[in-house]
Formats: sequence, structure tokens, C-alpha cells
Amino acid sequence: MIEIKNITQAYGRNKVLDDVSFAIHDSAVTALIGANGAGKSTLLGVITRLIPYISGEVYIDEHEIKSMKTKEVAKKVAILKQTHHLGVRVAVQDLVEFGRFPHCGGRLMDIDRQKVEESISFMDLDNIRDRYIDELSGGQRQRAFIAMILAQDTPYIFLDEPLNNLDIRYSVEMMKIVRSLVQDLHKTVIVVLHDINFAAAYADYVVTMQDGKIVSHGKVDEIITKNKLDGIFDYDFNIIEHQGRKVCLYFDSNEKDSLA
Amino acid sequence: MRDKIKNLIKLYWKRILIIGAFVILTIISLAIGALDVVNFKDLFAGNELSWKILWTSRVPRTLAIILSASGLSVAGLIMQSISRNKFMSPSTSGTTDAAALGVIIAFIALGDQPGIIQTIFAFLFALISTMAFMSVIKRLKIREIVYIPLIGIMYGGLIAAFTQILAYRFEALQMMQAIGLGGFAKIGSFATVYIIVVPLILSVIYSSRFSIIGMGEDFSKNLGLRYNRVVFVGLLLIALVSASSFVAVGQLPFIGLIIPNMTASFYGDNLKRSIIDVMFFGADFVLICDILSRVIIAPFEISVSLTISIIGGIIFVIYMIGGIRHGKQSQRAAQRK
Repeated sequence: MIEIKNITQAYGRNKVLDDVSFAIHDSAVTALIGANGAGKSTLLGVITRLIPYISGEVYIDEHEIKSMKTKEVAKKVAILKQTHHLGVRVAVQDLVEFGRFPHCGGRLMDIDRQKVEESISFMDLDNIRDRYIDELSGGQRQRAFIAMILAQDTPYIFLDEPLNNLDIRYSVEMMKIVRSLVQDLHKTVIVVLHDINFAAAYADYVVTMQDGKIVSHGKVDEIITKNKLDGIFDYDFNIIEHQGRKVCLYFDSNEKDSLA
Repeated sequence: MRDKIKNLIKLYWKRILIIGAFVILTIISLAIGALDVVNFKDLFAGNELSWKILWTSRVPRTLAIILSASGLSVAGLIMQSISRNKFMSPSTSGTTDAAALGVIIAFIALGDQPGIIQTIFAFLFALISTMAFMSVIKRLKIREIVYIPLIGIMYGGLIAAFTQILAYRFEALQMMQAIGLGGFAKIGSFATVYIIVVPLILSVIYSSRFSIIGMGEDFSKNLGLRYNRVVFVGLLLIALVSASSFVAVGQLPFIGLIIPNMTASFYGDNLKRSIIDVMFFGADFVLICDILSRVIIAPFEISVSLTISIIGGIIFVIYMIGGIRHGKQSQRAAQRK
């Protein structure tokens, strides 16, 4: 269980996170949504210790992360950020092996090799394990990075905008992978999403953020409502139900007429 | 059994080739010289003079070549990984020039000193200068990475000019010239080159960490790596190699730049896989250059840094052009998006 208590972080006078507190549900997908600059990525960075915070506490399984060793944190939480590894020629297999670093410090033992193999086959990367990651398609590369995080073998996985630069097919594939991480491997996944519909369709819980504060936190059905979303995104939403799932329509329903 | 051997050859043929070349080149390097008393026949016969020349002249010289070449290649490899820039190396970031400044200042402040004192001064100056250069480059956020070695060369030129002024002012020009030009012809002054063994071993131990650092800061932190500490260790190794090789053999330009790039084109960027090959390939390259320098106008010899500059310079230009093209392509790709 990860618990965040009264976290505040600021760049200069500008508060990016303002007294944020919430607990992450175990073995579930939690989607973090909000407008640009709401503090989603910063919050992820703070929980995974990439970014320091000014005040507050973050507990991972009842240990405050500032009191934990870096390697111990890396065995508990893994974060995948959207960075472009342009021109880095590392083979898929090597990338996945990097994931074992917190456990073996770079010298792979049998248990490490076994984990690497499991991750590669779980992400279906067997036939491209010798390819360099900069030669892969966006979807394949993303799968390779997820395999690395699986090899890291952490109960908590944080994904910062994993759907960026992916087309529809790969986006859906990625979200299915996210679901299977929870269902098959019982991981706890926290994912920052831009597209609310992906959150509505694949998340169990949704956390909404605005101006560095958490506005609401609850089950998908409770959060994806016109009432709650309008305020967060400062936009007039049109939410419909399709086959029992909520779908947000972003376009202005009068727009076409007014143009014509 | 035969299949096993076949498999091993298939997996490691590049390494076998590089190390095979290394063994042959080492033997050639030991065999040539002004005196032809050193040959297999005399050595087997136990000729005292042959063994004496081998041990006091040939072996130290060849060891100096191997160690400084391997060291500089690895230093370049680490530097490129830390900065995530393929064009960084001790000779294109002012590191070597700062080492030279350190040696001159040691000379001015303390007079003629043994190699070890010179190395300590060179090391401190190289370390401080490299740290300063790297942090400035990081802040400048230059998008076209090809400019960085050019800025580095200019920065190095500034330091070198300052060193010249100091040397002129304090009448140390002669000493300056004696150490400045790379060569393996000075007998007996190679002692400091053996220091390079330490960073070579450490770089193998740290190779996984350097590979991970090359993937970026957040990536490394996610894996529980202390980013700043590993970068600092990397800079220490780079400065140590640059300083001890400079004091022992002078400047060997381009090695740290071209060797890692050539090796990466067939091994990729995982240091853990390539570091041993980078060492041997670097040694191969400098051994070839040294043999050429000694053979072309035998019994005299050309300064090895001249040979390296000519061959290495051509390869550097090829990589630069490739880099510029690559940069333009990725710019175009970015625009299309």
C-alpha cells in the first residue's frame, strides 16, 4: 500500500503540489487525470523519488521513502517516463536485463536470468530480443520498456503518459497490457492519461487533479461524470453511455452547425 | 563439442579477431626497433643483450602504448555515455589541455618534479576542467550535438593558449614542447602510465552502471542508481586516464573519440558488452599507428601523435559528416511530425 500525506512541492513560489494526500488502492489500475500543468507528472516523480518534495510524507508499505535506501525503493516502485531514447543502441534483451540492477547490481544470477526470460515472454518479445531499441516501432519499444519494469519486479508500477506517440491500435494494446499486469501479475498500476476515455474504459479508480491539488478520487463510475469533469478540465463535456461504458465526447455539438 | 566451439566462434568472432590482431601487433611492436639483436633466435639462445633491450626498452614502450590507448578509448566511452553525446572525448572537451596546464603549473610552482607529482597536478586540473565543461554544456542545451565537440575544441584551444602564455612567461616553453607532442620514444619516463591499470579495472566493474547512466537521469534513478555519484566516478576515471597518459606519452588525439564510435557501430551502446573490446581495439589502433611511425622513415621515427592525427582526423571527419547528416535527418523527421 502506498500512502501520500500532505505532500507539497514548489518551484520558486509556484506551488506544483499543494498539500496532496491520498492512498493508492492495491492490485488495481488507478488513472491520474487532469489538465496540463495540474501536477500529475510531478506527483508521480515525488512518489518514486525522482523529484524531492518540500514537506509531507510518502509511505511505501508503511516505510517512509526518505528513510529507505535507494535500492530498496527501486525494488518497490518502478516508473516509466516518456523519454526519447533517440540514438541509444541497446538491444531489447540488454534493456530488460537493466531492470534487474536493483536486485543484482549488474551481475546477473540464475534468478535474474529467469526473471528476464519471464518478462520477455510475458511481453511477447522473444523474436525481437536481439534488435536495438532505436530500430523498433513505438509500440514494440514501449513493450520492451514495460518488460524491463517487469524484470525490476516491483509490486507498484507508475506509468507517465504511456500512450504518447502511440496510434490507436497500440494505445489499446498498451492499456490491455496494463490490465493484464493487474489481473495476471497482481501489480498495482498508477497511470497518467491524457485521454479520459482510456481512463474510463480501463481504470478501476480515477484520481483527478487541478492546480496541484487532488479534486476527487474514487471508482471510475463516480468520477467520470459531467459534473466532476467539467470543472477539472474547464470544458463543457458531453458524456454518453455505450454498451455500459461511459464515453466522453469532446467536440462541441453545435460547432458543425455554426460553421455551416 | 564441435558444435559448442562453433557456437562460441559465432558469438565471439569479433572479439577473437580483435584480440588476435592485438597479439600479433604486440609481437610486431616488440620485434621492431633500431637494434636487430632482439629476435627469436637470440632470445631463445639466452643472449643477455637481447633480453636486456627487450625488458628495458621494448616492453615498457609497448606497454605504454597498450595502456594509454586502452585507457583513452575507455575514457572516451565513459564520457560519451555520461554526456549521452557521441562526440565527447578527452581531446574534444579540453580535458587533455587542462592536464597540460596542470603539468606546467606544477613545473612553475615546484620546479622539475617526478612524473607522479606532475600526474597529480594534471589529474586535478583535468578533473576540475572536465566537470566545469560538462556542467556548462548541460545547461546550454544545444540541440545539435555535433557543435559540442567544436565548442570543446575551442575551449581546449583557450586553455592551451593560456598554458603557452604561462610557459612563455616562466621560460618553460622547452619543457612544454618536450611533453606536449605524443610519442613513445622517451625511455624510462613511462612509469606513470601504469597508473592507468587502476581506472581500467574500475571501469570494467562500473560498466553496467555507466550503461544505465547513458539511458538518462530518471531512468537511472528508477533503477536505484545514485546518478550524481556514478557520474562523478566516471569523471574521476576520465581525469586519471587523461592525466597519467598525458604525462607519460603526451597527447594522443582522437583516440577517445573514434575508438568508442567505431566499436559501437558493431557492438551497440551497452558498455558491459563492449568495454573489453573497446580496450583491445584502441590498443590495436595505436599499435598500428606506432608501427607505421617507426617503419616509414626507419631507422628514425615520426611522432606517433602525428600518425594518429592524420589517420584519426580522417575518421573523425567522416563521423562528423555522418553526424551532421544524421542530425539533419532527425530534424526533418521532427518537422514532419
